[in-house]
Amino acid sequence: MSHVNAVSFTILAVSFLGVTLIGFAAARWRPAEDPMQLNEWGLGGRGFGTFISWFLLGGDLYTAYTFIAVPALVYATGAAGFYALSYTIMVFPIVFLFGPRLWSVARAQGYVTPGEFVRGRYGSQGLGLAVTLTGILATMPYIALQLVGIESVLAVMGVGTSSGNVFVANLPLVIAFVILAAYTYLAGLRAPALIAFVKDAFIYVTVIVAIIYIPSRLGGWAHIFGAASAHLKTVNPATGKPFGSLVVLPSGEWAYATLALGSALALFIYPHAVTGVLAARRRDVIRRNAAMLPAYTLVLGLIALLGYMARATPAVNAGVAAGGGNAQLSVPLLFQHLFPSWMAGIGYSAIVIGALVPAAIMSIAAANLFTRNIYKEFFRPHATPAQETRVAQLASLVMKVGALGFALELNRTFSINLQLLGGIWILQTFPAVVISLYTRWFHRFALIIGWAVGMAYGTIEAYRTPGGGQQHFGASTAPVFGHTTYIAITAVLVNLVVAVGLTLIFRAVRLRDGYDATRPADYSADAAPAVAPVTRGTVSAAP
Amino acid sequence: MAEPAPPDRRPIVRGVVTVLLLVAIGGALVVPIYARSRPKLGDFPFFYWYQLAWVPVAAIACGLCYILLRTRPARVDASTDGGGVEQ
Repeated sequence: MSHVNAVSFTILAVSFLGVTLIGFAAARWRPAEDPMQLNEWGLGGRGFGTFISWFLLGGDLYTAYTFIAVPALVYATGAAGFYALSYTIMVFPIVFLFGPRLWSVARAQGYVTPGEFVRGRYGSQGLGLAVTLTGILATMPYIALQLVGIESVLAVMGVGTSSGNVFVANLPLVIAFVILAAYTYLAGLRAPALIAFVKDAFIYVTVIVAIIYIPSRLGGWAHIFGAASAHLKTVNPATGKPFGSLVVLPSGEWAYATLALGSALALFIYPHAVTGVLAARRRDVIRRNAAMLPAYTLVLGLIALLGYMARATPAVNAGVAAGGGNAQLSVPLLFQHLFPSWMAGIGYSAIVIGALVPAAIMSIAAANLFTRNIYKEFFRPHATPAQETRVAQLASLVMKVGALGFALELNRTFSINLQLLGGIWILQTFPAVVISLYTRWFHRFALIIGWAVGMAYGTIEAYRTPGGGQQHFGASTAPVFGHTTYIAITAVLVNLVVAVGLTLIFRAVRLRDGYDATRPADYSADAAPAVAPVTRGTVSAAP
Repeated sequence: MAEPAPPDRRPIVRGVVTVLLLVAIGGALVVPIYARSRPKLGDFPFFYWYQLAWVPVAAIACGLCYILLRTRPARVDASTDGGGVEQ
């Protein structure tokens, strides 16, 4: 792997350069009257219609890590990895339900982050802070994993130096990230929104070509499924059990379903997903996108199948073994061995650009959280919009440097463990963020304590779970009453039981509750119509 | 406030939307439905082609819900009862 293919490298370099130009140009795209508003930098002016939102959300939710990790899981364990397909089917009917309400209340009250909504709904700084810290904590390793996605491409291409210093050895990665940080700083959410068009073009082309061309080279789907099945049936010497199965076994159904459901419930409360939703121009944009975004789910399903194609390619199996059994290399290796070098370059570009878009949105989302829920809440209550925007820009830089440090200094397993924990953690904000969209029944202190119990339970359970050769954080599922269950689901149930029980107690002893700054009508507010004459009666959220 | 949609039709819309969304979710959530290898479609075991086929089914369900909620003057009556039609 030591010599770099010139054609693939040139294509990757040119597409990266093109994306960089677009990123900087985005600062002038749909210009705002006053760019120094957090609404502008952090939410693109809340002005994205159905079409742009589709690209933005698709580019945001389907990250490079997904494109690397899902096929890697399928490569290693077979059918169990397909829970990602089931999860991304369920997520859209779920967001169809609560997305419009979250959008409306944020629009009516000027909220930019989920933490602000919770703070306003319960009149509780503490609960707002809990949601904010959970969001930032869960996002940081997620950004780091985007870098892991880029790293696996660079590793397969043989790009990089053999210096002992991690920053020098990963110089291409560092440079890519510095450029990303620069245009995100300048253009805010407009940069990833515009780049998302390029990302998607690359991804759709790569997947369509892969799904038609590779099976023909490998001797058809019968051979691919046959080779996968043969591997999955063999016994893993480490565990004494087969590696996996081609169809989920009855014993694995519960884990499959809870992983899919837990991930689906969690996805749209991640700060970067909320940012994408709040950037929509109108309430209907979200519903329309719930019907259109599944196009990406189909792509994800096809990408998952790349894992089996990789398994059916002996050269990939050899490459993965040479890489220390790192299944994350399987898709880049598949491109390298089965595509002509120009097409491999397009495939690599798809993954690299696919990492940049979510990394940018995640850092913006985390920066918004920091600005509105920590800086403004605790340090500068009277910060001007311009100060807010400046702080958010700087915070996005800090986020990226932090993520870079994560990816380079800490070992990769640690990032993956943290991301696994992030999924468990973020779901613990579900009662405060999503259930609160429907009811104000819970007591604020009950929600905080429920959250803390859920966080502690989930973290300890994950720590105690061995697997994949690790003593701790080996898997995200653990047995509960004899059923292997996604820890996030068990933890959020514990969280809810505590919150319900304590709410009853706190109400009984008449513990003082917070002030609800939202009004019932806020939850169905819509923007004033852009084209007034044809739109029937529309209620404006603006006072 | 502006006039709401005829009240007798709204519970039906709400019910249909709920059922559609639950079916869309349930078809993916209830794993025993598709944790089998037959019938195959071409060389694809049932487990794979069912899930891939369920993607457009769920998308169409969401699309229908969107249309159902949109064709009523949804935003107007949403503001009068303090909740979206589907909630």
